[in-house]
Amino acid sequence: MIALTLALRNLWKNRRRSLATLLAIGIGFAAVNLFAGYIANTYAGLRDSSIYGEGLGHLTIARKGYFANGSLQPERYILSPDDLTRLTRLLREDNRIEVVSPRLSASGLVSNGKLSTIFIAEGEDPALANRIWQHSNARFRLDPQKPAGGLVSKALAERLGVGPHGNLVTMASTLEGQINALDLDVLQVWDTGNAATNDKTLRLPLGYLQQLLDTEGASRVVVLLTPGSDADTLRSALQPRLRAAGFDMEIKTWVELSSYYRQVKRLFDLIFAFLFTIVFIVVLMSIINTLSMSVMERVREIGTLRALGMQRLAVIRIFATEGALLGIAGSLAGAVLTCTLIALIHFGHVTYTPPASSTPVPLSIAFLPGMLGITLVILAVIATLAACWPARRAARLEIVDALGHI
Amino acid sequence: MPLIETHELCKTYRLGEIEVPALRNISLRIEPGEFTALWGPSGSGKSTLLNLLGLIDTPSAGNIILNGRDTANMTDAARARLRNEGIGFIFQGFNLIPVLSALENVMLPLSIRGVSRTRAHCEADRRLAEVGLGKYTHHRPDQLSGGQRQRVAIARALVTNPLLIIADEPTANLDAATGLAVIEQMKALNHTLGVTFLFSTHDPRLLGHLQRIVRLSDGEILEDSMDALPNLSTTLPPSPTHTEGAAA
Ligand SMILES: Nc1ncnc2c1ncn2[C@@H]1O[C@H](COP(=O)(O)OP(=O)(O)OP(=O)(O)O)[C@@H](O)[C@H]1O
Ligand SMILES: [Mg+2]
Repeated sequence: MIALTLALRNLWKNRRRSLATLLAIGIGFAAVNLFAGYIANTYAGLRDSSIYGEGLGHLTIARKGYFANGSLQPERYILSPDDLTRLTRLLREDNRIEVVSPRLSASGLVSNGKLSTIFIAEGEDPALANRIWQHSNARFRLDPQKPAGGLVSKALAERLGVGPHGNLVTMASTLEGQINALDLDVLQVWDTGNAATNDKTLRLPLGYLQQLLDTEGASRVVVLLTPGSDADTLRSALQPRLRAAGFDMEIKTWVELSSYYRQVKRLFDLIFAFLFTIVFIVVLMSIINTLSMSVMERVREIGTLRALGMQRLAVIRIFATEGALLGIAGSLAGAVLTCTLIALIHFGHVTYTPPASSTPVPLSIAFLPGMLGITLVILAVIATLAACWPARRAARLEIVDALGHI
Repeated sequence: MPLIETHELCKTYRLGEIEVPALRNISLRIEPGEFTALWGPSGSGKSTLLNLLGLIDTPSAGNIILNGRDTANMTDAARARLRNEGIGFIFQGFNLIPVLSALENVMLPLSIRGVSRTRAHCEADRRLAEVGLGKYTHHRPDQLSGGQRQRVAIARALVTNPLLIIADEPTANLDAATGLAVIEQMKALNHTLGVTFLFSTHDPRLLGHLQRIVRLSDGEILEDSMDALPNLSTTLPPSPTHTEGAAA
């Protein structure tokens, strides 16, 4: 009680200095939370574009070994129509699963009659593919009525000089090893948003690709979950069920399959850790600095309190309380600042151009109350601990020396 | 049982290679209810002795028995508790806490002890009234005069009903009249409450008001008026500063 009174009164007495410290903490707090809100939204955006736009779904199920060697020996891992039927039935039993979509991949050459270049293609059921895309803001669709109609990535279309309604020929070796070729109608051209895939990707109907590869099966099954279901939880639930049904399968989540997502996340997480460390140090130093000054100015007061019988620990408590109050008040100021800035950015329709993009996008920062709370607790604890350093020095003063101090 | 008993008390300060003996073989007994002054020129060891007896400093040799308890091997925490419960302090520079009101300053020793706010408030109110500052409870120290501040300090020293009040030059920062008033107040409290006062001074104008005078010189007891009653005003020439103070 006496500690709180003394701490509050002394903070108020030196209110300018307290305010400066408080602002340093508040600005650090806001920096951490604004960045956390920004990356949270970025992660959510990347997640949606991976799962829905790119069509990775939540889980991809394939025969064991497919993910390591499937591109070299696709025939070894093919799932027969019978396998696919049984697998689909089994998966659909779980009501957390919304879409089960068999997929086939292929690579080969695509030609406009004069020029040829390599392609990689994904084959999927048009209706199921469209259902997955519905969840995203992607505008492209396959057409169930056009079994030879596919999507061509933008740079590839430009290289081959085709647009919508154009015609191309795809060539690939069948699973048996024979060369096969098919006509392809260009339905739409889309930008993959990634230079590595934009000049070679095709999205084709499953039937088309089956015909090209001369197979009736598929190489894997992509599973889309109902909103709110967790991919890892479902994977753990599915594995024993698949084994029980006699399937020796491997299940990968979208995170494992999206190296771009993982790279971006790793980078942003690193920047976040760096930012947090800086804020941590700023808070630590400003509290130590402020309270060291406070201790220095109050040496005689400390001596008096000790002479009147205050225990060393109680002296520490006074300064620790001061640190804690600064930490909490600074964090609260930071929380207000964070909310204000989020609102300003939201209602001010601020846009920015991300490095990988050519057009400005709206800057959106998630409001993360949990993060605000955690930051408050962490900064208050840091402030309290930082205060203990000068406080210990205060408590260790010899009473006689402290009393004699002017 | 004497309230304070010291045996061969020594305090030596080290300044690099040199040893400064501030107190040498002080053996002193003070009975409960005494009103005793330590007298001596600057540097004679008055503050050093009061610090040792107030348990805010430790002797180099010898021991102090306070109210029958040997204080030699007490922990820091035990000494703090004993100071809080048994000893009141009045300082030359008043040493009030600037951010606390007069009342809160008086409550402080009780707050430190963990006494409830209401009880501490009540007790402090009474003590402030006793020293004639009933109307100044909510004033901050910087809104009070020197004499008023020292009276707040006296109230603070009294609030725990201590056995002993230690005051190092309580009047040195006050003008002559105020200083005398403060000493009179202490003396009155000594009479009415029976609380033991031990203080240092080198103000000759106070001589007539003292009951027992222990005269220190060079860290040793030169004379103790308990043993014989010397005429101190003739043996001690008043210092020039205090002559001016008396004239003012
Ligand atoms: N912290 C210290 N370090 C070294 N020497 C000290 C220290 N404190 C006091 N002394 C020395 O001890 C001796 C006694 O000092 P003390 O302060 O007790 O004298 P005093 O009688 O209170 O003097 P004054 O009337 O000026 O207050 C002096 O010689 C002084 O120089
Ligand atoms: Mg002195």
